[in-house]
Amino acid sequence: MSKKINNALKCIPVYLWLIIFTVVPLLMVFFYAIFEVTESGGIRFSLEYLKDAISNPQYLDAMLRSLEYAFFSTLVCLILGYPLAFILSNMEERKRNFVSVLFLLPMWMNFLIRTYALSSLINEQGVVTKFLQWLGLLEGSITGTEAAIIIGMVYNFLPFMILPVYTSMLKIDNRIVEAARDLGADSFTVFQKIVLPLTVPGIISGITMVFVPCITTFVIPQLLNNKVWTIGSLIEFQINGNANGSGGVNNTAAAISFFLMIIVFICMSIFSKFDSDGAENGGLM
Amino acid sequence: MIKFLKRFYLGIILLFLYAPILVMILFSFNKGDTRADFTGLSFQWYTKMFQNSTLMEALINTLVVALCASVIATILGTYIAFVIAKMSPANKSISMKLLNIPMLNAEIVTGVSLMFFFVFISVSLGFTTLLIAHIIFDVPYVVLSVLPRIRQANKSVYEAALDLGATPALAFRKVLLPEIMPGILSGALLAFTMSFDDFIISYYTSGPGFVTLSVYINTMTKRAIPLTINALSTFIFILVFILLLVTNLKGKKATDK
Repeated sequence: MSKKINNALKCIPVYLWLIIFTVVPLLMVFFYAIFEVTESGGIRFSLEYLKDAISNPQYLDAMLRSLEYAFFSTLVCLILGYPLAFILSNMEERKRNFVSVLFLLPMWMNFLIRTYALSSLINEQGVVTKFLQWLGLLEGSITGTEAAIIIGMVYNFLPFMILPVYTSMLKIDNRIVEAARDLGADSFTVFQKIVLPLTVPGIISGITMVFVPCITTFVIPQLLNNKVWTIGSLIEFQINGNANGSGGVNNTAAAISFFLMIIVFICMSIFSKFDSDGAENGGLM
Repeated sequence: MIKFLKRFYLGIILLFLYAPILVMILFSFNKGDTRADFTGLSFQWYTKMFQNSTLMEALINTLVVALCASVIATILGTYIAFVIAKMSPANKSISMKLLNIPMLNAEIVTGVSLMFFFVFISVSLGFTTLLIAHIIFDVPYVVLSVLPRIRQANKSVYEAALDLGATPALAFRKVLLPEIMPGILSGALLAFTMSFDDFIISYYTSGPGFVTLSVYINTMTKRAIPLTINALSTFIFILVFILLLVTNLKGKKATDK
């Protein structure tokens, strides 16, 4: 009995930690979405900001655009990353370990610098732009187009798709594949009936790891195409960019963040529907 | 033919991932001071990098925060993992869900929410707030890499140690801890890299008095990034590359034996 109480006592600091530093800050977003600080220092209830966040056409437009970019970037990452993970997982072990490190290495370089370096390749003076112009495939530059944002997102987040898919492929028991072959399955059937279903958890965690950062990044649009508003750049603008925001609390930013948080959690719960035990088995580790 | 196609595909993707990095490395040796044309070889940006006190300060700040945050998060995360491992299934499921929130939520929302939180309890933004924010997003990574190790650990060896007269503290130190050590180390490493690379959360939770490398680079992108940044990133990149190569070779030797 005393052991049970002892265990319960041990849980308290953990719950305190989780509540104070995870739940309370999120409640803070909700708080500032519905309460504004008046000039005299008091607080005033107002639903105006929340209403604005979900009805202002500019915000809605940015939200939809961010979702669209995130969707296409995730799709491209999956299309590029899945075959890549498949090729990698079929290599002999020594080679495979080395090559997989090559694909992860870029993640250790600061992403701002990488994105900046990418922009220097695809802006007006960039080598890639010049080459495509010479081929007659392009007029103007790649930066400043919507494609530039997608390229930037794929460039930054592709390793996050490759890694979980690759891990889930390595986990496949080779004996299952051999058994299927013994039973007369051809390569396509093996892929369709065994490899694909067994890598679904990897795909789902890859999609999660790419999709959410894609919706919310404001650095990639800022560096590659600063003409369009994404939901991330909108929040950033409200906090640091405009006249009344000087890095502190901003009610509009709170309301948009709250709206964004709801969207993200809806997306997450849709993803997790496809994958019953993904959080335990798929993923990074 | 198929083998060639596979190689070609790998090559194309690697080119896509590395071309910007290679160009960046190339220009860190530029004699001129633009990234538009390469006028000759020089190491001037490397010497300038060490002379630039703002840049060096930002680098040291980043290292200090990443080191402190990852050490504290590792201790805290390991403790939390032990507690969660012993929880009842219902409690476990709730705490894992709460723990996952900072990892799954949008980074910008986490950053903004922590900033609001610090403003609400009227703590001024600076080193302390930055450190707390880093610990908060590091802890889940540590817990998630330690927890599976605890689950796999052989309980009977620990119990045998107790039967042989070891105190729970001694048995923990001599038996349980070595078993879960790989999980703790990989969690710590993950936490350190997350902290070192982080931009968005640092951006919102650090004040003007305490600038990390990412935040400093971000202010630079508004104009044009000086080539000293290229030099510094090349320096870090090569350092990490060597480190990975060494650990990889060591690991290979160990498996060869």
